[in-house]
Amino acid sequence: MTGSPAYGSNSAMPESAPAGAGMDVGARAVAARAPLLEVRGLTKAFGGVQALRGVDFDVRPGEVHGLVGANGAGKSTLIRTLAGVQRPDGGTILIDGSPVEILDPQHATRLGLNFIHQELNQVPKFSALENLILGLDKPTRAGLIDWVAVRRDVAPVVERLGMTFSLDTPVEQLSVAERWLIAIGHALVHRARLIAMDEPTASLSAEEVGRLFGIVRELARDGIAVIYVSHRLDEIIELCDRTTVLKDGQLAASFDRSNVTKEALITAIAGGEIETTVAGSASAASARPVLEVRSLRRLPAVRDVSFTVHEGEILGLGGLVGSGRTEVARLVFGADRLEAGEVSLDGRPIRLRGVADAVRLGIGLVPEERRSQGLVLRQTVAANLALPHLARFRIVPRLPLISLARMRSEARQIAQRLQIKAPSVTAIVGELSGGNQQKVVIGKWLGGQVRVLILDEPTRGVDVGARAEIHRSLRELASSGTAILVISSDEEELPGLCDRVLVMVEGAIAGELRGPKITRQAIRRLSYAHTQGGLVA
Amino acid sequence: MILGMLPHHQPTTPARRRLVVFLGQYGTIVGLVLMVVFFSLARPAIFPTWNNLINVVNQVSLTAIIAVGLTMPLAVGEFDLSIGYAASLAGVLVAGLMVNQGVPWPAAVAAVLALGALIGLVNGLFITKAGVNALIATLGTGTILVGFNYAYTGGSAIAFGLPDAFRVLTARGVLGIPNTIFIMAGIVTVLWILLNRTDLGQSIQAVGGNPVAAALSGIRVERVKTIAFVVSGLCAALTGILLTARIGSGESTAGDGFLLDAMAAAFLGSATLRDGEFHVLGTLIGVLIVGIGFNGLNILNVPTFSQFFLKGAMLIVAVALSSIARRHAKA
Repeated sequence: MTGSPAYGSNSAMPESAPAGAGMDVGARAVAARAPLLEVRGLTKAFGGVQALRGVDFDVRPGEVHGLVGANGAGKSTLIRTLAGVQRPDGGTILIDGSPVEILDPQHATRLGLNFIHQELNQVPKFSALENLILGLDKPTRAGLIDWVAVRRDVAPVVERLGMTFSLDTPVEQLSVAERWLIAIGHALVHRARLIAMDEPTASLSAEEVGRLFGIVRELARDGIAVIYVSHRLDEIIELCDRTTVLKDGQLAASFDRSNVTKEALITAIAGGEIETTVAGSASAASARPVLEVRSLRRLPAVRDVSFTVHEGEILGLGGLVGSGRTEVARLVFGADRLEAGEVSLDGRPIRLRGVADAVRLGIGLVPEERRSQGLVLRQTVAANLALPHLARFRIVPRLPLISLARMRSEARQIAQRLQIKAPSVTAIVGELSGGNQQKVVIGKWLGGQVRVLILDEPTRGVDVGARAEIHRSLRELASSGTAILVISSDEEELPGLCDRVLVMVEGAIAGELRGPKITRQAIRRLSYAHTQGGLVA
Repeated sequence: MILGMLPHHQPTTPARRRLVVFLGQYGTIVGLVLMVVFFSLARPAIFPTWNNLINVVNQVSLTAIIAVGLTMPLAVGEFDLSIGYAASLAGVLVAGLMVNQGVPWPAAVAAVLALGALIGLVNGLFITKAGVNALIATLGTGTILVGFNYAYTGGSAIAFGLPDAFRVLTARGVLGIPNTIFIMAGIVTVLWILLNRTDLGQSIQAVGGNPVAAALSGIRVERVKTIAFVVSGLCAALTGILLTARIGSGESTAGDGFLLDAMAAAFLGSATLRDGEFHVLGTLIGVLIVGIGFNGLNILNVPTFSQFFLKGAMLIVAVALSSIARRHAKA
């Protein structure tokens, strides 16, 4: 698209609500507007699976529209269709009341629709500035990019979003929150009229979430429509003007600010089938230590960490993103080398030379990123489940031949135990919904004799139903004697699940909570309790 | 706003999508069948005969062996560009050991196979331990092998004095079928089992699919990759040995051309039956397509130079098919 390079001027936008208008006035003004985007009777099938069965949905300019639903309910399919990544089988998409056919992602962008995915499709080595204008026709001078003009043009966006960091920093050196600002800025320089955000707060701290909300509200005040996809219902309730709940590829319910409650949302999402609140954990923990960690160090992320996980215990590791929890998990799992410290398993000191050693000793890790770290997406459920202990499926111990039939029958047992919803264990993992994929990553460790299972964000981006099932499975696993370490940034997760919680701050343990003392408030308070003595040089 | 100016595209209907998927997975097989039917109708007296069948399969056997070997590095997500040069070196060396050094043929064969494994090991270690890009590493080792080759032969063929017993490898055996075919069938079977029915094969597929997830599942990724290169080196050496036995002399550049044929076959194969994954059976089908194509054109008396057109075009089409298959797998 060519045109004047004054990015972010939003000339195509309808009149904004009057500045300084109160929330209610704004909301009423929004309700009166004609929809910017309207979807009627959208259908889409993949193979035999009907992902969308006639979805109706509309977004008005200047509103924040929540989109929730269990994994597999059709949210991603709806978003991908709007983004031009895939074509619908049937139904109509209207923009400003006239039907359009969204041909490809570039076309969606030209129509003013912008999509920010959880993974933030940015080029890590590029500077913030380069990512900001990625995919845009740049002003040139004698055939070269005129960076002075670029900077001048993006200045309003930078100011509007309050970006305080240098635009010359490569984005790989920026925090997730800063990268989100760039993603939103990217949408603005492309003159977005609608921005869809997928789980924007998944990796943000409470404070950063607050800032993001401020920005989203400001965007809405300027007349931009925001689709906000999230599993965090508290955030949906706080932020969204309207909320649409999808279930089984159909509209299950829709709420507006005046009548939305958490219970109502959960009921609509789950359809009343699933237990949604988790009863207090049964403390099956014995006094027998399984994993003992002493003075673990690997700078800069891990300064000094000691803890013990007992047989049958679920130990939580709380704290802010970046406090060193993932790094501790990687050290215990042998994925990184220790600089100092000791690890013992069942009373015997162990020295891991690599992940293979850890796996052999019965230590398992469910990594943070299920798609990129946990699964071989193009392989079957059975092949993925068998991955950590392939040698167990040998027909004769000395020969490398394996029995696929035994691999499949064991996979079926694990799938049943974890309630993995897949057509069969020979289904391709990449085609399952997020919650079921996560269950496969956990299931990988159920086939062997797992003594210690470490889970890094086990239910991130997983719907409430699957989440309850995962929690129940973890408790079962603990009661059979496995020591479990759970890392979670989700404030609601650790209190319901853990026997004990340690909170990390800047590479060290800041405090411990037990039983009824494990509350969101307590974890949050400890997370900000900066340790005395400062950082080790 | 801009909508009016855009060309109106036909939406992809489910039927059309299904056709694309079908062509992706079975297109190569359909192509193979069509080719056989076409040549059979064009030359009914020559093409569809037992003799010609044996002839074609015999011709493609060496390509099949080197190509299924190459399938292993490809399956772990790497490349091996050294195989053609490795085959050439193996060919002259096995001849030289027997003719110049008077080594008995089984010992010469064993030594050259060991050298092939060593070449693979070196490739694997450069790539996994030193972190050299596989294309560069194997191009480098391949070029060094050319150097050894010329140093050993001075560029001239080792043509006389090959023991007759050695040539039993490619002579006609049971039912008049050349032994090469049996060897090829054996190698293909072993590698099919290796890739599909062993824990190593599962590891190879996992490493090719997602090396990070494989490593975090306790798979020794570096070791698996190195083994894949060793298999590829072994198969290249065996191909070189059989080539020398077949043509009756060790020639410095005789094996070089196998790289392109093997590559074309493996990429054609990766678009067959599975979504862009490299697998043994697919590679074999790829080899047959390439081989039958050339055989048919020969029978039709198409001039030799046009075979290069076919070969080049086939390589490009193969890679295109493979990447289309992979894209569909992602969608």
